[in-house]
Amino acid sequence: MNPRYLIRRLGQLVPTVIGIVLVAFVLIHLAPGDPILALAGEHGDSAYYAFMRERFGLDRPLLQQLFTFAGRVLSGDMGVSYVQGRSAMSVIAERIPATLLLMLTSLAISTVFGLLAGIYGGSQSGRSGDFVVTAGTLLLSAVPVFLLGQLAVLGLGFHFRLFPIGGSEVAGSELTGVVAALDVGRHLVLPALILAAAEIAAVARLTRRALATELQTDYVRTARAKGVTAWLVVARHGMRRALLPIVTLIGGRVGHVLGGAVVVEIVFGWPGIGRLLLAATQARDTPVLLGIFLLISATVVGVNLLTDLLYAALDPRIRYR
Amino acid sequence: MKRNRSSRCRRAFLLTFAALALPACRPTAPPEGTLIVALSSDPGHLNPAITTQGGVHTASALLYDGLIALAETLQPVPALARSWTIEDSGRRYRFHLRTGVRWHDGQPFTSADVKFSFDSVLLRFHARTRASLGAALASVEAPDDSTVEFRFKRPYPLLLQQLTVGEAPMVPRHVFANTDPATNPATRSPIGTGPFQFVSYQPDREIRYAANRDYFGSKPRLGRIVIRILPDPGMQMIALEAGEVDWVFGVPGPDRTRLAANPAIRMVQSSIGAGGSNCVNTLAFNLDRRLFQDLRVRRAVAQAVDRAAFVDRITYGGGRASAKPISSQLEIARADDLSYPAFDTSAAGRLLDSAGWRLNGDGIRVAHNVPGIDNGARLTFGFTHMPPLQPYGDLLRAQLRVVGIDLRLQSLEPAVFADVLFRERAFDTGIISYCNGTDPEIGVRRMYVSSNIAPVPFSNAAGYRNAVVDSLFDAARATLDPDERRRDYRSIQLQVLRDLPYLSLVETVDTRAYRTRCSGFQSGAHFAATARCGP
Repeated sequence: MNPRYLIRRLGQLVPTVIGIVLVAFVLIHLAPGDPILALAGEHGDSAYYAFMRERFGLDRPLLQQLFTFAGRVLSGDMGVSYVQGRSAMSVIAERIPATLLLMLTSLAISTVFGLLAGIYGGSQSGRSGDFVVTAGTLLLSAVPVFLLGQLAVLGLGFHFRLFPIGGSEVAGSELTGVVAALDVGRHLVLPALILAAAEIAAVARLTRRALATELQTDYVRTARAKGVTAWLVVARHGMRRALLPIVTLIGGRVGHVLGGAVVVEIVFGWPGIGRLLLAATQARDTPVLLGIFLLISATVVGVNLLTDLLYAALDPRIRYR
Repeated sequence: MKRNRSSRCRRAFLLTFAALALPACRPTAPPEGTLIVALSSDPGHLNPAITTQGGVHTASALLYDGLIALAETLQPVPALARSWTIEDSGRRYRFHLRTGVRWHDGQPFTSADVKFSFDSVLLRFHARTRASLGAALASVEAPDDSTVEFRFKRPYPLLLQQLTVGEAPMVPRHVFANTDPATNPATRSPIGTGPFQFVSYQPDREIRYAANRDYFGSKPRLGRIVIRILPDPGMQMIALEAGEVDWVFGVPGPDRTRLAANPAIRMVQSSIGAGGSNCVNTLAFNLDRRLFQDLRVRRAVAQAVDRAAFVDRITYGGGRASAKPISSQLEIARADDLSYPAFDTSAAGRLLDSAGWRLNGDGIRVAHNVPGIDNGARLTFGFTHMPPLQPYGDLLRAQLRVVGIDLRLQSLEPAVFADVLFRERAFDTGIISYCNGTDPEIGVRRMYVSSNIAPVPFSNAAGYRNAVVDSLFDAARATLDPDERRRDYRSIQLQVLRDLPYLSLVETVDTRAYRTRCSGFQSGAHFAATARCGP
């Protein structure tokens, strides 16, 4: 790895993220809907609304608000949440573990099961196993997340009582240690599976296609002719090259998973960033909204960089300068 | 101490006063059991004195008290104030506070807390108290620790309706003094005087309360309350049926029949919801639009609408079809002989004919010599609503189509809805839930007086201007005489029924549901103060 390349990419990352957040700032302020009207509720008078606008600095010209905001971002401060009256960053920070847990579990599930299904389908190309994988993944990617989630809650949660209906832990529980972790795990199963469903389909379909293509190449045919076993052909020859687009896909899906997490968190009552994003949007809680945009854009840009670096590790022919 | 008390008890028993004395001497059962309550959104904080947001009030009301409470009949009853007098024709109210009341941190509650709550918090941050009380109030005085005086610039008949825990929760001076009440940590880990005290708050997960054993009122029988945040109404219903929660605040209409058949669940209706009390879903005509400046068009719409169908098909029997402009639940504005024009599509058609709107081949009317409108223009207008009220738009569109009106629906999320309707006034008709409150002065005046045509949510959306109505509202708030006020509100309704700037559709109620392992709930903000839950 060329260190200069890494430094250059990191250098690009900062202005990209700041640019995204500044664009988000302008878009939020141009969008219809007034945070004070959303915040203050019924019955106020004009004097009350003026008082609240002044309190949050919303009475100042937009350009001045933008400069104030930019100054804050550079010093790592997103301001105070209009709704909660405390630092927007701390409001966001306390939601990160829940969303991270949900996303990582879902990414792990979708990667493992997607790869397995794709490898099976790709190695069975044109046979009944391939048909099952193709049809199954098509179905999974076609069903909307919210519908799948509701069906899972009704079927597996309510009817069969296999899993809790929502939330991240038993209400009012005093559990600690391993028992508490197991309780969270039990609550995590359904949302993580539902969030992973569409991702499993995407990973499986790409893996299947990439592997099926690789298995028809001359070098694989040569390997087979030399007597290499079927699974070694797949694992050592086929998958090595097929992994490149799959890594790109998984890296690129982080943003999709984050988007899906918003819906899944609402359906399952999971207390993460997604629910906070929805609440902040409804309340026009700009500092929190911008903080979430900052977090999401930094995550997506960071994961893209990581994906590029993984490329080089997987394919020695790739060199970054 | 305990021994003395039980020996006194035994003596009382021997002195044949057993039947009377024993219940009084029996030690109160310790609070036990847990009530799990579902709440649809995270409140963000637990300080109801700085906001009118329904979610904050629902989540935190059990932690606080007002100076007075309202009985089922809306009559004021003592809470933190044990008694009161009204002097100088309603210009001065004197409250005598209970003695011995303590905040949850053990500090005594005094009149200084009341003065501080109003002067430094409620009159600055609580939109409703600031807008209504603030304009009339001269000062709040605390002549001694247990007396509070409210002095007004003019006779003020409403104060007793505005001192409940929802309107004016008391907050501790020793915690909030010299701080910003909106950013003070106690806003998220609150200290009140209410029947329950704060234990913990995990955002978007749960809020926990424990019984306040030193509560001055009826001692809580529940050991603790866990408020669980479940954003999806469907999930709340499933969680209730599965026994994962014990109480939900709102049951969607379509779920009512199923829940009613479940013996483990009971439902109660309340006209007090999270957003306010005695709410009326109301159709507002934008009177700035030339089309609606013709009374015949407004009247035709009123006669084309079958309000009973809204109750049958949208609220599934919950609530009442509105008969007149002010909620039937406000005794001071009762006028059973008044009503909107009767549902009569033929009469509506004739009115539209006379206004120049003639039926076209496709069933939609077109203009024919209508002043200010091009000949041939179709009778079509917009209906702006928030997403939950979409079914009202669907039914209204079907009903108006019968008389040749084409309604276009426009769904806007709440923050945008308020902006479009009240600030930009960029709408034709819209549906608004106007909560009438406990007195017309609180929740009705704002939608009719011309001075309240302002870029403020839930103000006079119609843009209605009538000097007679303005002066009647002023007269009604300047007197304490209930008969005089009744006459004023009757006259107001008569005039409004003539002018029809709005069309009240349904007086809504909230349906709450609970599992039958719990009982003893009461109406109002302190709904679980006397509840108990079995195993």
